[in-house]
Amino acid sequence: MPYYIGDVIKDEKRLIARTPEKFRETGIDVRIDTRVEEIDPKARRVHLAGGETLPYDILVLGTGTKPILPGIPGEEREGVFTLKKLSDALRIKAWLKNVPCRKVIIVGAGFIGMEMSDVIRGLGIETQVFHRGTLPVNRWDPEFSKTVLAELERHQVGFVTGVEVRAVEEGKQYRLRLVTNRGEDEADMILIAVGIRPETELARRMGLPLGKNGAIRVNFSQRTPEEGVYAVGDCAESFHRVSRDWVNIPLGDIANKQGRVAGRNIGGGSAVFPGIVGSQCFKVFDLEVAATGLTEREAADSGFRPVSTLIWGNSIAGSMPGNKKLGLKLVADRATGKLLGAQAVGGAGAVSRINTLACALWSELTLDDLGWLDLAYSPPVASAWDPIHVAAQQLRRQI
Amino acid sequence: MGKQVVIVGAGAGGASVAAEAKRQDPSLEIVMVEERSQVSVAA
Repeated sequence: MPYYIGDVIKDEKRLIARTPEKFRETGIDVRIDTRVEEIDPKARRVHLAGGETLPYDILVLGTGTKPILPGIPGEEREGVFTLKKLSDALRIKAWLKNVPCRKVIIVGAGFIGMEMSDVIRGLGIETQVFHRGTLPVNRWDPEFSKTVLAELERHQVGFVTGVEVRAVEEGKQYRLRLVTNRGEDEADMILIAVGIRPETELARRMGLPLGKNGAIRVNFSQRTPEEGVYAVGDCAESFHRVSRDWVNIPLGDIANKQGRVAGRNIGGGSAVFPGIVGSQCFKVFDLEVAATGLTEREAADSGFRPVSTLIWGNSIAGSMPGNKKLGLKLVADRATGKLLGAQAVGGAGAVSRINTLACALWSELTLDDLGWLDLAYSPPVASAWDPIHVAAQQLRRQI
Repeated sequence: MGKQVVIVGAGAGGASVAAEAKRQDPSLEIVMVEERSQVSVAA
């Protein structure tokens, strides 16, 4: 959706994988603009707003997430947005164009904050990111977060740290005024992107157990403990193959897979969702930022004895023009030498390294395996000693 | 009549369930309920 707002994707229809009409053609009844009021698991009935009741043999909850709001006066004002639904994207795009916006403040420095600062700045609009902490994207090491910050600054995106938002008021020079602990700033649009949480209100009222992250507990076939009830996607937990714990990582690729597994089981087949390793990425201007597995802290919390190394290697042959440094951090277990996690930042190739390392996590490779892995090499596209080899061999020597 | 399946939410997860379940067993009676105006949206 950020790329639709930034006009990289021109037509909103391109965002819709399958229309209600397409579903109806296959015999699936789709009710849009319809809210579920209550679910009665004993009577196996779903009560819709408006009074209609749907009986079920099998129920699936795919209720997604809801954005976290700071709960400050004025946050409901026109021109203050969150980005969750397609309707939000449509409204934001119209607001940017029609007001027209001269300046935008983004509150929050996670994935959405970074992607949105990229696309809004790309429209030529003055853009500032207001962040509670000191560096963006705290999932990554400070050294990599600093690289992200430098990329924002290189593209004239303002980054304001240590911000607590207090209120949104009507502005004088611009449409809105944001009051914070650091003073007052005006802008024509404010985007709140401070996080999301699983939408599990219906599940909770049905008495379904929720995990420590507030997501619906499921097993490997996406079944909840309630007979005949499944849960999939951002509202449900996933098994983390590295930490061996149940987690909630709300990403669309995971939702697709869990949905397919549940669908196969509901249709009489047999499928399991084998879990995740925590792979994620985003792009901000010319920088790819990616991670997989556990951070050192998460590894220690999961009972491992983590060791780590961070290197800057060549994404293509060092002698070739256009070579850009690629930052790679590896985390491994001192006891077994197995990889536990990785982070990468670079002009290009960061995501491909992380995908390779995601396979390593999936199949529990050690640093010795990774140090000699047969990766494709040719000077214009790869380096003979890939950053993966360099980092793995360096970390192996520390154990 | 086939089994009654109700899916609450037509995002990536719910829409994938509907498509796959119907492919597996065309006799299923599937209703997908979505509180927004759009279904199956790429984030």
